[in-house]
Amino acid sequence: MTAYLIRRVLQSILVVLISAVATYVLLSFAPGGPLAGLRQIQQSGRFQITEDDIARIRASFELDLNLWVRFSRWLVGVPTGPVTIGGKEYFADMVVGCRKPIEAEVINSDGVPEILVVGCKESVYMKDLVGRRTSRGILFGDFGLSWRILRDRPVSDLIESRLSKTLQLIGLETLLSLVIGIPLGIYSAVRQYSTFDYIFTTLAFMGSAMPSFFFGLILILLFSIIPKGAGLPYIPAGLSESVRDYTIPMIGDVVAGSFKDRTLHMILPVTVLTLINIAGWSRFIRASMLDVLRQDYVRTARAKGLREVTVIMKHALRNALIPFITIVVFTIPGLFSGAIITESIFAWPGMGRLYILALGDYDYPVAMAIFFILAVLTVIATLLRDIIYTLVDPRIRLS
Amino acid sequence: MTVSAPIDKLEVEAITIEERSPFQVVLRRFMRHRLAMISMAVMIIIFAITILAPYITSYKVDEINVNNYFVPFGTVDPDGRVHYMGTDNIGRDYYSRIIYAGRISLTVALLSVLISETIGIFVGAVSGFYGSWVDAILMRFVEFMLTVPTLPLLLIISSMLLRNEDLIPIPEAVLNFVGKIMLLNPRDARNAVLIVVVLAGFGWLSSAQLMRGTVLSLREQTFVEASRSLGATNIWIIMKHMIPNAMAPIIVDASLALAGYVVAEAALAFLGFGIQDPVPTWGNMLSATQTYMFDKPWLPLLPGIPIFICSLAFNYIGDGLRDALDPRLKL
Repeated sequence: MTAYLIRRVLQSILVVLISAVATYVLLSFAPGGPLAGLRQIQQSGRFQITEDDIARIRASFELDLNLWVRFSRWLVGVPTGPVTIGGKEYFADMVVGCRKPIEAEVINSDGVPEILVVGCKESVYMKDLVGRRTSRGILFGDFGLSWRILRDRPVSDLIESRLSKTLQLIGLETLLSLVIGIPLGIYSAVRQYSTFDYIFTTLAFMGSAMPSFFFGLILILLFSIIPKGAGLPYIPAGLSESVRDYTIPMIGDVVAGSFKDRTLHMILPVTVLTLINIAGWSRFIRASMLDVLRQDYVRTARAKGLREVTVIMKHALRNALIPFITIVVFTIPGLFSGAIITESIFAWPGMGRLYILALGDYDYPVAMAIFFILAVLTVIATLLRDIIYTLVDPRIRLS
Repeated sequence: MTVSAPIDKLEVEAITIEERSPFQVVLRRFMRHRLAMISMAVMIIIFAITILAPYITSYKVDEINVNNYFVPFGTVDPDGRVHYMGTDNIGRDYYSRIIYAGRISLTVALLSVLISETIGIFVGAVSGFYGSWVDAILMRFVEFMLTVPTLPLLLIISSMLLRNEDLIPIPEAVLNFVGKIMLLNPRDARNAVLIVVVLAGFGWLSSAQLMRGTVLSLREQTFVEASRSLGATNIWIIMKHMIPNAMAPIIVDASLALAGYVVAEAALAFLGFGIQDPVPTWGNMLSATQTYMFDKPWLPLLPGIPIFICSLAFNYIGDGLRDALDPRLKL
């Protein structure tokens, strides 16, 4: 068990590292970045931007460093300069980047001129890194600085302000899905082929086929736009709290930013996430309950005269929940991705929205940080799932 | 005793059971699934509409009717053509765009399924059949890819590809071919092909796992042993025995995957990292008109309805196929 755990933890670290490297490299190929606008200004000729200005700006975004140096500084915060061992400096003259690249305009296959780097006028050496602003490394919890969304502010500030919003959404949604979804699945399985079961399976089927963005729009229309137009009580949609005070018919005045305001704004996004989640989860519970209810030990329990409630809740449910653990644990990171779409519909200022914003706005440090957190969460969830599995089901041995 | 009837007459009186091919058996079982049949009919209609797109629409997708933004349903323009669903925020005929969008969205989904299932079948078959280190490497890779959060990674990759379109070289012939199907010029088709690459690039992982599982159990069957004892090569066994016998779960998987791809393509477009605007898809039309939700709610809702219908229909067809092909697979 211990050996297995150690191996799995090592594997997990490897997965996180590989996905970090892969996405970092991917994003470093993506054009745009903070220099794109600069180049346009330079070409328009309205402002005088010297080569030195560009070199300075490139340095402030670390774009003058080679990819591997940048990555290493981003991941673990080294190198920060020459290595000093016993009073002697090593690697001081190692080339780690290029301050002023030689650029040439090349016409590419589509006939569009493209600027390519063909050489280097002035290199950056290891000794130049001394005194540069650097992050401590994402592995040690320092996500670096934002490029565009909140320029030069730490990414962690941005994430902190958004994290609680996403957690509110996801926390409430997971709780509701569990409380509603499990009983629904059980009831539907126990009363298989009843009218309830038919209605439930049909609805659940539609729920899992429903794209969340379309579902969200329909809810906004039905509960926000139409009733508001008709002068009926409505549920506010969009953002996590309103900007100014407003009045809802029959509910009364709502102060912007108050608890009431925030609760009202949560209703629709939580409903979208919960209903779609319930559709999946309760279908799963139903299937796994049906499977268990046909087992011999359930028949034995019934045969020895136990009450039906005891049979279902103690003998069947406990076993039916084992495969469900896989799903629940795995939704924790999955929910963040699910929330990306829902947060976008409702302009909910959470992590998912931030991720989309960062990718769309070329703020790669923010996007990378969120992706990194997600990868770590997913890997932890996978590990957790396997461990919990063995704890609850002694038939499964880890090896 | 006398022989009263000749032998061949006796045969006629014997109880005969109509012989049915496996295909007929499956078809009969599928026909019994009412919702799957309805879905099938709905999808045939939708496909027919999108195939006939140039004949039933009178506008081009990027034809802008200047100063006629948001005209209501059924407006007739000076040329006598009708805007059946009005126009969008920059004056393009909404009806034509929805029809053409269907053609593009469905082609993207079909191509993605085709590519991902083909890769999945071969990787899964090779991995399951050969076992040992081939299996270990391939399946570790698949498992690794499946641990990474999918949607965020899809977003990163498609955002990078869309901004750097020449990063993956796509042969001119492919662009022309896809452009012909989607009625787009090759330049716009590149965008759609990239999305297919992104979707199929992740989609094959689960089909490979499915295929591997099926092949693992097939490998131990006696007919494989028989084939081998007759001197069949590995490739022969894979092509002649493994793949045809594993088709049932793969077909079910493909039809469910179609639903997934229609939604995934729309979701990417909705988030702004899918096929980009002048080319219509249901997802990007919904996303582009989302801001007009408050005064013109039909604009975002109209493209949303076919997404939902296709997703539901493909799911029901998959469900029906699962019942028909392998009753034991039923949840």
